[in-house]
Formats: sequence, structure tokens, C-alpha cells
Amino acid sequence: MEFLIANTIIPTHWDSIIAICIGIAFGFVLESSGFSSSRKMAGVFYGYDFAVLKVFFTAAVVAVIGIYYLDYLGYVDVGELYIHPTYVWGAIIGGAIMGVGFIAGGFCPGTSLCGVAIGKIDAWVYVLGMFIGIFIFSELYSFFEPIYTGYFLGNITLIDSFGWNPYWTIFIFSLIAIVAFVVADFVRKKIKKVFY
Amino acid sequence: MNTEKNTNSHIYWNPYFGGFLLGIIIIFTFLLTGRSLGASGAMKSSVVTIVDKVAPTHAENNAYYSKFIKEDESPMNTWLVFEALGILFGAFISGSLSGRIRWRVQHSPKISSRRRLLFALGGGILFGLGAQIARGCTSGAALSGMAVLSTGGFITMLAIFGTGYLVAYFFRKNWI
Amino acid sequence: MDKKRFAKISSFRYAIMAVVLILLAGGLVILPKYEKNEGISADQLLSNIISLERYVSADDISNKLITQDPSFILIDVRDKESYGKYTLPNAINIPLKNLLDKEFEAYLNQDQYDVVFFSNDNFYADQAWAICNRLSYANLHVLKGGLNGWFTTIINPEKPSENMPASAFELYNTRKAASMFFGVVYPDQAKINTVVKRAPKKIITVKKKKRVAEGGC
Repeated sequence: MEFLIANTIIPTHWDSIIAICIGIAFGFVLESSGFSSSRKMAGVFYGYDFAVLKVFFTAAVVAVIGIYYLDYLGYVDVGELYIHPTYVWGAIIGGAIMGVGFIAGGFCPGTSLCGVAIGKIDAWVYVLGMFIGIFIFSELYSFFEPIYTGYFLGNITLIDSFGWNPYWTIFIFSLIAIVAFVVADFVRKKIKKVFY
Repeated sequence: MNTEKNTNSHIYWNPYFGGFLLGIIIIFTFLLTGRSLGASGAMKSSVVTIVDKVAPTHAENNAYYSKFIKEDESPMNTWLVFEALGILFGAFISGSLSGRIRWRVQHSPKISSRRRLLFALGGGILFGLGAQIARGCTSGAALSGMAVLSTGGFITMLAIFGTGYLVAYFFRKNWI
Repeated sequence: MDKKRFAKISSFRYAIMAVVLILLAGGLVILPKYEKNEGISADQLLSNIISLERYVSADDISNKLITQDPSFILIDVRDKESYGKYTLPNAINIPLKNLLDKEFEAYLNQDQYDVVFFSNDNFYADQAWAICNRLSYANLHVLKGGLNGWFTTIINPEKPSENMPASAFELYNTRKAASMFFGVVYPDQAKINTVVKRAPKKIITVKKKKRVAEGGC
């Protein structure tokens, strides 16, 4: 396998330096796309700004197509990548709570860090809130544990769950993304502009 | 986007361009490390470190903290913490290039700063809680999960945005 | 004029990007598929099979057993019955047909011990070796000559004839001593060595192989 760090092609003490470099690139792109602005982020829910949807979907589509091309050419093995584990109810309940948090606070963790970096006080407060949220979760861990560790299906992908052909899945995923972009632009034209 | 305002600070990248670069970054992260991006992991490490410093015995007795506390290593010494520091740097660089850096509270003209901050705090608490239950936030679970077609990633993404749209109506005054 | 044409093209730019995206995604669907190798590639496997590096001699193994070298595991790939009748000290029985069972994977797929396969001769051990090698497991070896070789070299070493060099006698003596360690009693030594030593039981604990990559937030 070709994980340069995991296979010690790059020595492990470079690990943190690479982490910082990747983080810088990540933060730069997020901030430049306007993700440090909570009103821009929230726009996706009210139809006045679809930047979140566009960036998010484009990134996912580009990444998945790229990874599968690299897999096809033999540079990576998709089977050996880290697959986010599937805890069904954890994902649904956690996602629902995050959804409410998203609309109330207007940030997600990565973008709130961007907001912190450029001096948004609401982002600072939001990060403080996240600390409190994590603290609450840890203190009440025994209460959340059944959801946190239950309904575990393993590190599965859509291909494992539904038996779909991965390439067709990606193709249809891309089509959905493009349709979403077109619909988003259509909706945005209908909705009153909001200046922020 | 918002060229009408005619100030440099509100011109952001074309979202497709940003998304494309973000996708490339995700690929590189997977290729270099086999790992996915993330942001809330660093905050979890910080909370664990703080609790461990303030009340070590309590942290050891708690089933959740004790997972992340090791004898010989600080919980801050993880990949995700360095990555989060990188995010701060990167965003600062980008913000300073476009002149967006200044202390301010951003809110809709219809609400007060105080209300905005209260909602930000509440949203943060909920997001922190949810991110722990779902084992990842929008970047770690949803985005990187979708990049490898992880079922959990898709479920998380749908849950976040589905709920967002469902409850958006009740929060409309904060934003529009 | 130029400006106009540029504007015309740029008004289509999103459509063009969408087409490029569809083409790229469609490319994945259309590209001819090939069966991916799991584990190592075929020619690598072939060259590994031809190479004789995998063999370890019975002398080596007996030496390791006597010195209680903790760095290896013996795996008996014969069936349960034969295993019950006779086997090497501390060998683990993994019958060839059960080689890929989940419960045994921890013994085979690890990088903590040297794994030494043996059967009655090389044949089945070689098969087990080839299967595991294909799965790119590490540190695999085969006992040269198998149990038959073990018997003829260690348990019942051939006495060298008078005209053989001194080294042959030395080897014979070593092997004889080894065989005594494994419980063979020689008539000329019987009086001195009445208590038959058994090789001490070795407990083998296998650590699970660690996942290399760990996840997000």
C-alpha cells in the first residue's frame, strides 16, 4: 500500500508537520470559499446562498472520483482507506443534533475554526459552546453509551450495504450533484437577495 | 459573490473552485496518511486535556475520557490537533490576504449581538454533543465519509442537512 | 468582438464543467474492469515459490526448541488425528483445509513471530505456505522435509560410517543430544539419563495486528 507515512516512506516524525500543512491548505480553502461567515453558511437553508452546498458537493464528488481513479490505476486500494464506521442510530441522532446546532450557531467545527482565526467573536463563542457540548457528552457518557456503541454495522460503504456497483454509484452521485447545483441556482434566483 | 458591496472583503472564491481544491486536499490526505480530515477531534482532545489537568482522577474514572488518556503521551499529541492548528493558520493567511481580519460579531440586522452570541453558544453546545454521538462532524464524518462512499458518512450528511432544513423555519429571524 | 465571444463562452462555463464531470464519472463506469489481485501479484508469488529461502532445516528448529527461542510458532497443517498421535513440541494444529478460518488468522497474519509450517513432508506445508504468501502474510517458513525429515535427522540420526569426516560425527552427536532432549533414550545412555525431559510448554499469545490508519474527528 502506498500510504507514505503509514509505510514509513516518510518518517513518522514528519507526521505532525504534514498534518499542519494539510490543515493550512484546508483552512485556507475553507476561509477563501467564505466559510468563515456564518450568514453565508446559513444561506444554504434559506436559499439565499448555496456556497455550502456547492463547495461540499463538489469536494465530495471530486474526491470520490479521484480516489476511484487512483484505485483503478493501482496507486491506492480503496479497501485499505479509513472508512468512517457506521453506527446507524448514532449517525442519525448525532446528525440531527448537529443539524439543529448548525442552524442555531451557523458554523460547523471546521468553519468555526476559520471564524476564530479571522476574529469573529461569534465563532469564539461557538467554539466555547462546542467545548461545553463535548464536556456534557463525556460527563453523561454512560447515558449516551448505548447509542454511541450500539447498532454498529462495521466500517462499511454503500457498496457493502446495498451491493451497488461502485462506479455506477459514483456516476449517479455526480449526476445528483449537478442536478443539485442547477436547482440551487434556480432557487437562488427566485429568492430575495440578502446582503450580509 | 457579493460584488455589489464593492469591498474586497466580501469577494470569495467561486464555490466550485473551492470545492475542487477541497476535494484534491481530501485525496491528498487519504493518499499521504490513509486518514480523513477532521476538526472536532482536536476539540475533543482539548477538552480531555483540560479535564485531565483539572481533575485527573475524575478523568481516569470516566469511561469516555479514559479512552484518550495515555500514560506517556499528552492527548494533544495527535494528528487532528496539528491539523486543527493548521486550519487556524490557513484561515488566518487567507483572511489577511483579503482583509477580512477584525474583531466583530456577525449577525442579521434584525437581531442583537447578544442574541447572536447566545444562539452561537447554544449551537456550539449542540454541535459538540452531536459530533461526539455521531463520531465526527461535517468534515470528518460527512465529507471524508462521502469521499470513500461510507454508509455512515452519507447517513450523517443526510441527518445534518435534513434536520437543518426541517428546523430552518424556526430560526429564520436569526439569519434572513 | 473578442470580449463578446469570451462572454459567450464563459456563459457556458458551468455547462462545460458539468460535462467534464459527467465524462470523468462516466469514464469510471466505461473503463474496462480487471480482476484485482488480493495480496501479492502473481509473478511475485511465482518467484517466491521458486526461491528456497522459506525452508528451515530440522536442525535449526531443534536448536530453537532446545534453547526455547520464543520468536517462532510451529504450525502443524496435518489433520487433527495425526496431530493427536504425534507432533512437535508446542505446535499448533491448523489443518490445511481450515487454514483460512477466521479463528486462525491471528496466528498467521501477524508480524510478531516467525511462522513455521510442517506436515509429514514438504508437500502440504508448501501449499499452506503458498496460500498465506499469496495473502501477503509475513515471516512464513516451511520445515524442510517435514516430520519425516525430522525423524530421519533428529529423532533417529544416521550414524556416520568410519570413513566420514569429523564434522559428520560432530553433527551426529549434536543430533543425538537433541533427540535425547526430545525424549529418545539410547541404550548406552539409558542408565545415566533415566529421567526423560520434556520440552517445557510454551504459551503462545498472539497480538491482533494493528490497523494502520485511524480516522477523522
